[in-house]
Amino acid sequence: MSSLLSRSVGKAAATAVVIAGLVTGCATPPPEADQEAVADWERINDPLEPMNRALFDFNQAIDSAFFKPLAQGYRDVVPQYGRDRIHDFLNNWRSPLVFANDVLQGNTDRAVQTLMRFTFNTGFGIFGAFDLAGAGGIPYHDEDLGQTFAVWGVGEGPYLVLPIFGPSNPRDTVGMAAEWVGDPVGYRLSQLDMTWVDFSRGAVGGIDKREHNIEGLDEVERTALDLYSTIRSLWRQHRDAEIKNSPDVDKIPAPGFTSASHGSELSQETR
Amino acid sequence: MILATVAGSLFLAAGPAAHAQTYQGAKDFVANLSHDAIEVMTGKGVSDAQRTERFRTMFIGSVDLPVISKFVLGRYWRGATAEQQKDFLKLFEDMLVLTWSTRFKDAANRVTLDVVDAKPDVENGLLVESRIVREKQEPVSVIWRLRTADGGFRIIDLVIEGTSMIFTYRDEYASVINQNGGNIQGLIDQLQKKVTQLSAPPATAN
Repeated sequence: MSSLLSRSVGKAAATAVVIAGLVTGCATPPPEADQEAVADWERINDPLEPMNRALFDFNQAIDSAFFKPLAQGYRDVVPQYGRDRIHDFLNNWRSPLVFANDVLQGNTDRAVQTLMRFTFNTGFGIFGAFDLAGAGGIPYHDEDLGQTFAVWGVGEGPYLVLPIFGPSNPRDTVGMAAEWVGDPVGYRLSQLDMTWVDFSRGAVGGIDKREHNIEGLDEVERTALDLYSTIRSLWRQHRDAEIKNSPDVDKIPAPGFTSASHGSELSQETR
Repeated sequence: MILATVAGSLFLAAGPAAHAQTYQGAKDFVANLSHDAIEVMTGKGVSDAQRTERFRTMFIGSVDLPVISKFVLGRYWRGATAEQQKDFLKLFEDMLVLTWSTRFKDAANRVTLDVVDAKPDVENGLLVESRIVREKQEPVSVIWRLRTADGGFRIIDLVIEGTSMIFTYRDEYASVINQNGGNIQGLIDQLQKKVTQLSAPPATAN
């Protein structure tokens, strides 16, 4: 997403972060002598928890007032077939970015898959509205710059809840910002003076994503005792799986039931 | 054949639990269990309360609740009184039954579960890999972490798209305990509240 929107959203986001930070401050780490508590603290990785919780509440309020009804309305108005076309189209035009990240991660196989999908779907799939390549056995996969940084060994930094965008961390935030600037599709659109197309793409992408998650989030909300920490845990685990490119059996963390301390297992043996 | 031999020699080291037969057994266990769970939750001519109770019976017989509870509470388990441990076990069981019975029921009509593979896990356990297949959507990966117990299998975790059930509960409950000044009683009280809320008939629940 290019210049104007990203700049104003970025500015609003930065302001909100600063305000929330001023109001709430940091969480207090446990005393160093309590080793298990320290291990928990490090595993959870959320020193900015009070600020993050404030932003989380803010996001929840906006979501229930605006984004969720919007996603529900989108589902009610646009039939499944139409939503599938929009979803496929959005995925297709994300492909140049995915391709770049496949390459930057040194993943030739996946880069070739993305390239083949993009060429085929853009041509035969009417600018990507039909994911023919996916039906033909080359499924879509997503990549982003945050994941690329992670593959390069950049640490995630503390957990961070961004206004509107939700769960993140400094590494992924930088990745997301850089993608706005560096997306070849967005760049081409701004050259053509069609930045509004890029805005719409971002907005519809958000609604598409929210629509996909209506039931999932409702269910988590229904059963969670503390929604904030549940989402934090789910998001961080899912992000780990994304970075490793699959929730493969070999790559999931082992709980280590027989060991006396459960502090360090989440720092996973398979990094 | 060669593969089987190599695999066999690896498993010798891992102990008696590891056998080609065991792997097939684990896969069958998961396939049968998910089939039965869906059957129980969608069978006709039974009241919702009866369904939940049948699900509970299945659940208790196939999930290793004490092991999971100890993992989920970690150091707080050791710091809890016997009474608190008992309360937690009961409420956690209610919580899991109420949560997962609904999830199975909701999923039953829309998805199928394919068991793909079984592999050895740490501590003589097994990992059964499965996929939830939904029409026109990407399949969802579900990994079942099993341990062998009393000649059978017990579930100790479900990992859905890379997110582990027990790790998520552990993070959430640690957070609730922390917010209550490190006191496990706060968690027990909140669990009690949630269980009451979830057991209420759908008409009055929000």
